[in-house]
Amino acid sequence: MPFIIDAEGIVVRFGDFAAVNGIDVKVQEGVIYGFLGPNGAGKTTTVKVLTTMMKPTEGRLSVGGYSTAEEPRKARDLIGVVQQHIALDKDISVRENIICRAMLHKIPKKEIEPRLMELADMIGLTPYLDKLVGNLSGGWKRKVAILCALMHEPKILFLDEPTAGLDTQSRHMLWDMIRQMNKRGTTVFVTTHYMDEAESLCDVVSIIDKGMIKESGTPKELCARIGQWTVEYDSEEGKRRYRFFSDWYDAQAFVSQVSERDPATRKTHLEDVFLEETGRDNMKVTEKRLRV
Amino acid sequence: MSLIGDTMRVAMSDLYYLKRNLPILMATSIVTPVLYLVAFGYGLGKDITMEGVSYMAFMIPGVVALTTVTSSFTTVANKLMVQKRFYESFDEMLLCPISKTSLILGKSILGILKSMMCGLLMLLIGYFLSDDLQITPMLILCMILSCMVFSMLGVAAGMIVPDLPRMNLFNSFVILPMTFLCGTMFSLDALPEVAKNIIGALPLSQTSACLRAAALRWDFPWVSLCILIGYGLLFYGLCLFSLRKTN
Repeated sequence: MPFIIDAEGIVVRFGDFAAVNGIDVKVQEGVIYGFLGPNGAGKTTTVKVLTTMMKPTEGRLSVGGYSTAEEPRKARDLIGVVQQHIALDKDISVRENIICRAMLHKIPKKEIEPRLMELADMIGLTPYLDKLVGNLSGGWKRKVAILCALMHEPKILFLDEPTAGLDTQSRHMLWDMIRQMNKRGTTVFVTTHYMDEAESLCDVVSIIDKGMIKESGTPKELCARIGQWTVEYDSEEGKRRYRFFSDWYDAQAFVSQVSERDPATRKTHLEDVFLEETGRDNMKVTEKRLRV
Repeated sequence: MSLIGDTMRVAMSDLYYLKRNLPILMATSIVTPVLYLVAFGYGLGKDITMEGVSYMAFMIPGVVALTTVTSSFTTVANKLMVQKRFYESFDEMLLCPISKTSLILGKSILGILKSMMCGLLMLLIGYFLSDDLQITPMLILCMILSCMVFSMLGVAAGMIVPDLPRMNLFNSFVILPMTFLCGTMFSLDALPEVAKNIIGALPLSQTSACLRAAALRWDFPWVSLCILIGYGLLFYGLCLFSLRKTN
């Protein structure tokens, strides 16, 4: 089955620094694809490349079957983008922002209002349509940005850290919205550094660190790869340590070995996979990178 | 047709902004020129004649020129700077199926409309203050042209200048000196030859010359009009270049 996003050997260099270093991204149509990584891992740069906002230094990319190097315009028509920074005009109303974005995508005038009302009803935005965007809370602004990106009915929706800085209620509200979009047939590419979000929302995830893909697969597959059972216990220095086991009995045998160090057995989470791949001590990782 | 349609699509968000804030935008734009008319026209130049007409009649086209120029430039440059650096909504436009020319023209519309309204208001005030002044089709055409040229400069500045402090620097060292020196309130003949030639080549000097000649029915300076069009093309090229670089 062809991939709706098919990127091979993508490299993005800024001078000597490779922000993205030879990654492959292959996304099947109709999935919610999570792109995970710590701050500065290369998530936003990758999104900029995949959405044609930035040309890669090296590599080949096709979106919806169109090569972005040869037919960028056709590829762009298939995508909707919600950037990490909410890109809305704050001094005009929600309705005006949405109408402007729809007009820029050349949606016929008579289709704009019904489509706007349908989407606004679906995500509960109707009471806010005539409010100034600048007066809305972060969660509602993010909803408006997503609605703007959906007006031209894109086949792929890119969301760059959509829930960054939002409260729990707003995050869950957005997750529901993303699931709804996906049920309507939109492929969703979402970057995040919240593991619970990726685990709850995504069909497939990739973990990127220092510009390279470390792991790819379904959240369950990734957890199984390091061992689906986790035993956590205190080390002699008092730090929490983690051991992973494929078999529950092996995990219990280990627990009995460290019974004096406050052990606990639990299912492995995506967060464990993420920390194993990207390093548990982010400060050390950052220091190492700065030294390089 | 597609160019005009796409230009209006780009301008739409700015037009909504203009509609919401029209009285405030107009009021802030005409305070300074009205003060110039009162202070220099009435206060200082009541009994002065310049190039054969009263100082008030001489000054009004210059004040109209500086109003259109500063209003179009600052409106467009500041709005684009905000949309590009703070709202980041301009980047979204680059993803839409819109040509670069439509983007440039669309982003100029706000400046053209607002500065034309301010310019016409100043012209109306001036019409009642001086009997020598005439509102002619050529005068309106020259105003539209100057609004277009300086709105285009505003787009280029909004694209190129990286932050607000540098934009203020550009305003203080380029736009503000031009508004005073480019024949808006005095004749360039009063300047030393070298300064006269340098300042005379600036776009606002051409605007002042065209508006004054059209308003006072003097011989029309067609060369100035051509130079002004040339500046317009230059600024358009600058916008196109910076847009390509951004892309």
